[in-house]
Amino acid sequence: MSAAVSRVVLVPGTLALLPEYAGREDPVAELRAAALAAVAWLGSDVTLVGDEQGARVGASLLEVVSRQDFVLPQPPTVSTTLASARCSTSGAGGPAYLVVGNGSAKRTDKAPGAFDERAEAFDAGLGASLRAGWPEFDARLAEELWASVEGIARLGSLGDLGEAQVDYDDAPYGVQYWVMGWGA
Amino acid sequence: MTLRLRTHEFADEATLMMAIVNRTPDSFYDKGATWAEDKAFERVALVAGQGAEIVDIGGIKAAPGVEIDAAEEKSRVVDFVARVREAFPQLVISVDTWRAEVGDAVCAAGADVLNDAWGGADPELVDVAAAHGAGIICTHTGGATPRTRPYRVEYDDVVRSAIDDTVAYAERALAAGVPREGIVIDPAHDFGKNTFHSLELTRRLGEMVETGWPVLVSLSNKDFVGESLDLPVGERLVGTLAATSVAALAGARIYRVHEVVETRLTVDMVNVIAGRLLPKRAIRGLQ
Repeated sequence: MSAAVSRVVLVPGTLALLPEYAGREDPVAELRAAALAAVAWLGSDVTLVGDEQGARVGASLLEVVSRQDFVLPQPPTVSTTLASARCSTSGAGGPAYLVVGNGSAKRTDKAPGAFDERAEAFDAGLGASLRAGWPEFDARLAEELWASVEGIARLGSLGDLGEAQVDYDDAPYGVQYWVMGWGA
Repeated sequence: MTLRLRTHEFADEATLMMAIVNRTPDSFYDKGATWAEDKAFERVALVAGQGAEIVDIGGIKAAPGVEIDAAEEKSRVVDFVARVREAFPQLVISVDTWRAEVGDAVCAAGADVLNDAWGGADPELVDVAAAHGAGIICTHTGGATPRTRPYRVEYDDVVRSAIDDTVAYAERALAAGVPREGIVIDPAHDFGKNTFHSLELTRRLGEMVETGWPVLVSLSNKDFVGESLDLPVGERLVGTLAATSVAALAGARIYRVHEVVETRLTVDMVNVIAGRLLPKRAIRGLQ
């Protein structure tokens, strides 16, 4: 990991995380819990990295965790051990980055971009490189598969991040989401 | 406005399904299907399972027919109310009666609301509700005698009449000691009204909502729906739900119904459109 960077978190840019699109039931409850736990771990001085929509999602998550009455949501299926460990060290010094991006949007027939047989392999490769802390992907294929990689591409410029802790890795609506964190 | 029906409290924006449970052999819609006590009890269990917040138990059909005195009416509903109270403590129990004597007995047996479908025909009903801390439904009948059909009734302005009469009734109930949060007004479609009156009340229901009193509507399978579409009882569900949509958009709070599930879906859909209720679960296009 670069000496200049202390903590980095990746969350997906799904608009379902925004309060203006809330329903009576949360379709991304597990993802939201993981994302909020990870964002809370970043502390208060955070640089947002992502495209315009992604930045809105990131800003919204940061606003939620900054509230005085913020309590981590804990759906029973979420790994609360990791979330708790992260929160216990919240606010460590050094620059922190919240990167907003996600994998393909063509994982199933009902995915936003419909099924593309290349999507699963693309997401597997991108996911593995993210876990290793050095994202690599085919930019043209990413565009064809509707992956939101603008923020992820800039993640590489932060230097060698080291191995990621993965809090969420799933494609519940045909779009590949990750919540990952790097740093001490 | 927050509704409190005896011990049952509901949030400001909550809409409530009041399921009709007839302990009568001759009501117009079910034609005695729940006349037997066990059948009526099964109906309560069914509608409670369907999510109805209130049951409205009635021992006398609204239309003219064999005279049912207070003793007979009590024999039909009082013990039944006690049985429902014991089995369904979370359910609001309303009893459709205009008689104070019956109201007193059913409240003692556990009823939470007195649904006075005949608009204060017995002036002591409010005192009974007050004495028991029960809620009351204040309906408009244009002064009709209980169990009579309208005959050449006309109004200068049926909505004005409905507002004036139900608000006056609500204020009388309040003065008698009925809790403000337990008082509801009801334009009483088809009671003392022809089809044109009921349609105008539906169209202008928002004026009743603007009074600030919670509004109940009883539209289910009624003749104004049947005459509007030229359909007999049994074929009026679609028309009922269309009328329900208009009432929901206007802001009605309580829906007295035969079909709980269909009405709940209709009311929720309208309130989601109106922006008073969030969609149940939205992900399309947001992934």
